[in-house]
Amino acid sequence: MPAGRPGPAAQSARRPPPPLPLLLLCVLGAPRAGSGAHTAVISPQDPTLLIGSSLQATCSVHGDPPGTTAEGLYWTLNGRRLAPELSRVLNASTLALALANLNGSRQQSGDNLVCHARDGSILAGSCLYVGLPPEKPFNISCWSKNMKDLTCRWTPGAHGETFLHTNYSLKYKLRWYGQDNTCEEYHTVGPHSCHIPKDLALFTPYEIWVEATNRLGSARSDVLTLDILDVVTTDPPPDVHVSRVGGLEDQLSVRWVSPPALKDFLFQAKYQIRYRVEDSVDWKVVDDVSNQTSCRLAGLKPGTVYFVQVRCNPFGIYGSKKAGIWSEWSHPTAASTPRSERPGPGGGACEPRGGEPSSGPVRRELKQFLGWLKKHAYCSNLSFRLYDQWRAWMQKTHKTRNQHRTRGSCPRADGARREVLPDKL
Amino acid sequence: MSRREGSLEDPQADSSISPLPHLEAKIHQTHSLARLLTKYAEQLLQEYVQHQGDPFGLPGFSPPRLPVAGLSAPAPGHAGLPAAERLQLDAGALSLLPPLLDVVRRHQAELNPRALRLLRRLEDAARQARALGAAVEAVLAALGAETRGPRPEPAVAAAAAAATDAGVFPAKVLGLRVCGLYREWVSRTEGDLGQLVPGGPA
Repeated sequence: MPAGRPGPAAQSARRPPPPLPLLLLCVLGAPRAGSGAHTAVISPQDPTLLIGSSLQATCSVHGDPPGTTAEGLYWTLNGRRLAPELSRVLNASTLALALANLNGSRQQSGDNLVCHARDGSILAGSCLYVGLPPEKPFNISCWSKNMKDLTCRWTPGAHGETFLHTNYSLKYKLRWYGQDNTCEEYHTVGPHSCHIPKDLALFTPYEIWVEATNRLGSARSDVLTLDILDVVTTDPPPDVHVSRVGGLEDQLSVRWVSPPALKDFLFQAKYQIRYRVEDSVDWKVVDDVSNQTSCRLAGLKPGTVYFVQVRCNPFGIYGSKKAGIWSEWSHPTAASTPRSERPGPGGGACEPRGGEPSSGPVRRELKQFLGWLKKHAYCSNLSFRLYDQWRAWMQKTHKTRNQHRTRGSCPRADGARREVLPDKL
Repeated sequence: MSRREGSLEDPQADSSISPLPHLEAKIHQTHSLARLLTKYAEQLLQEYVQHQGDPFGLPGFSPPRLPVAGLSAPAPGHAGLPAAERLQLDAGALSLLPPLLDVVRRHQAELNPRALRLLRRLEDAARQARALGAAVEAVLAALGAETRGPRPEPAVAAAAAAATDAGVFPAKVLGLRVCGLYREWVSRTEGDLGQLVPGGPA
């Protein structure tokens, strides 16, 4: 019987169909003696072919009376009638079909090639599997949540499109001993992922790889070697709170709790904070927030809502020198900076420009110094304390000056008073 | 015997409490179940044809509608039979469907392994057919009609082990036929019970 001619690299991997009960012969395909009914057999049955290859098939009719003609028979593929010139009558009871340059299968259960009688009734069917063998999976990445499990993700080769059902199997073993194990919980974080929930050893390397198999062949990824301790991540820091810093209009205080799951594992966490203005998509990142659970954001806009998130990297577990894997960001927490109470511009001859207190040369230099300090030491508590005191003093002094101006007092006197710097500075 | 005597859980123990409300409730409940399963059966059929590809699901697609394991569609004269006989036929068909639905699910697990919703619906259908069949048998028993009792499931599993090489297309057609029979019989059961519900069509 003519069969498909797959490409050179193809195997005619004809998986045996699942066993069916004899009752199927009553459904399709079994001739019934004396009934006058016709049935047929298509060959080949359920072939597997490479994309671009050709197929030669036949439909052989059995019927009562014998010698039933093949004239009038026709083919459909996925419900569409095939052009008559693709078919030819081989003999009285056999109709042949020739298809060239086959496209990939439309559905993973196979393309439906059907042989019809003249009246359109179905005589027989065969399912074609046209596709590509799998390519090597790559880009395997793994992480362990709190050192209790391992989740891995990979990219299928050739972007995964083989047009055939392709099975991916994640395998792992201890590097120097032990047998191959197969991951069992798939699709946990996307279509190409697997989760190993337990029984993992620490302080010893694992080898991990992915095997892809379909009807046309198989492929294996490169082996990834890792120690669980080097790919640890945690849950995001819980209980993130953002609050104002008194009346300071350009600062917010951020506090959080270190992830409790790793508290027994002797690690030094480092944190990152990111924040953005409410109606912006641009995040600003505060790096190197090392091993502390609070930080103050400065240089913010007054009267503005900010969204803040924190994440954690558990490095230094059991003395490891390697960085861990950053956790997910915490849920966004929002807070607003206080709105400035200073009067707008144009309020009078002595109104500070831009609402700032009037400044002499000393003040200007002090302001520049503190601005530099703020920029280069976000989380320097000492600097902030002093800066806060200075700012609070400045604002208080400014309020007092405005009150006197309202009552008609001389702003110059207040300005002179404001030349006096805070003691601790 | 006063109303205080006897058990409310066993109406037969107290002849002054009529078993009729209990029977009516049971019929009503089973009818509601059949109505729900008719909707599910329709959804199952639509999901099934989607995953087999054309021409399955196309208007006019009609593979041979032959009996499957001795189970046919309800006969044209079914509606004219006495109520008890109709319900007996319904119960009999519902008892034949679960192993057939299991076979179809196993085939689809090979053909469409990623069609998780289809596989779940097939599994649910087998379980629901058993439940509806048992409920119909309970109604028959309450009506005093003969029930078939537990039937040995057809030797489908044994026949499956015979491993006939019938092919993927016949397996798809079998599944379509079984899903169609499931829909027809739960719908038929809903109709037969509907005629027994007080206030329902005579």
